[in-house]
Amino acid sequence: MINSIFRFGLIFILLILLQVLLFNNIQFSGYVNPYVYIMFILLLPIEIPSWLLLLLAFGTGLIMDFFSGSPGMHTSATVLAGFVRPNVLRIVSPKDGYESGSDPSMFIYGFRWFFLYTLLMVLIHHTALFYLEVFRFADFFRTMLRVILSTIFTVTFILLIEFYRRGK
Amino acid sequence: MRNLLNFLARYNSLIIFLFLEGIAFYLISTRNNYQNSRLVNSVRGVTSGIEKKINNTKSYLSLRKVNETLAEENVALKNRIAKFTKTESSLFFSVNDSIYKQQYFHTSAEVIKNSVNKQRNFFTINKGESQGIKVDMAVISSNSVAGVIVGCSKNFSVAMSLLNPDFKLSARIKSNGYFGSLSWDGKDYRYAILSEIPQHVIVTVGDTIETTGYSAIFPEGEIIGTVSDYEIYGGDFYKIKILLATDLKKLHFVDVVGNMKKTEETELEKLYK
Repeated sequence: MINSIFRFGLIFILLILLQVLLFNNIQFSGYVNPYVYIMFILLLPIEIPSWLLLLLAFGTGLIMDFFSGSPGMHTSATVLAGFVRPNVLRIVSPKDGYESGSDPSMFIYGFRWFFLYTLLMVLIHHTALFYLEVFRFADFFRTMLRVILSTIFTVTFILLIEFYRRGK
Repeated sequence: MRNLLNFLARYNSLIIFLFLEGIAFYLISTRNNYQNSRLVNSVRGVTSGIEKKINNTKSYLSLRKVNETLAEENVALKNRIAKFTKTESSLFFSVNDSIYKQQYFHTSAEVIKNSVNKQRNFFTINKGESQGIKVDMAVISSNSVAGVIVGCSKNFSVAMSLLNPDFKLSARIKSNGYFGSLSWDGKDYRYAILSEIPQHVIVTVGDTIETTGYSAIFPEGEIIGTVSDYEIYGGDFYKIKILLATDLKKLHFVDVVGNMKKTEETELEKLYK
């Protein structure tokens, strides 16, 4: 228990630092903004109680909002991601279900499963985030383009990080 | 009572979700420019230490480019000084009253945090109230418009970038003097839109756009950019796409410009409102 708190604490700090120090500074052409910190919500244990998941999502979003100076947007999108996570896990669930007490990781459930899971979660999070940021439907398709491009980049980076974790 | 408890137990995650989203939306809805920048300001006190570190690394990497720009600016300034000393000597002007002629004063500052990829962009500079920065001062970067100060703390200030739809600026076409309103449409960080130019005006691609000085914030004649495209918009007006002269993504050293006669001007204008 203590061990896993320590482990997730470390993952959390590393992901936030990575986001703030590296990915927030990328700003490719105004269309691509990878938000890799969402990986923290992805990696939490499968059987985590939903209230804890939601509170952790809230905290993560709040900290991201602090760093990007945008009150509420990251919080709202991340809480949404935390809320839909159990349903997404059910949708992508492998044939023989999940092992009890396991983490949603690539080397237990395979690349295909992890990719699909990440893609769905990131897509939901980014859709909420970018539409909240624009706060109007006037530029609907342009925002959609931003969502899609950023999702591609975020998913790629998350897969790379997961590969690296596996290598460790 | 039992039913209520059952209900709560069954939908507890939905209730927590709605509660947390409620807080988030409350935060979003109370954001309004001024308060937002206030909040940003107080929070940045916490995060600016880290941002400073990031910036130090960045500024080291871009030293070469910065040197070139500074050298260019130096040459331009030297030329201007040369011009002034010449005219001054030919005038019968023995008292050197600098306040009499000077309306604007410049302070240089360094941008420590900047963004171009959001819908409402702000940037932070490393000078604040203690260095004489005040709200509503103009920020320009090597003679073209970058933003306006919206909040100051002791040693830092937050400026609303030109890349913010709430930033409205009075601008004119240099060649014929017709003025309109300039703002960003949230699409591309290199372009802004100049509207309210009537259709009988002749607009050519490549025309220079500059500030008017009507706002009492920006000095007159600061370059904003050049016309890159225009189309007819609404009944009688053009919608002109401006290629910005500053690359706001590369913003690093800026000048903060204060208007010393601003209070005088606004007080006077208030009388006739």
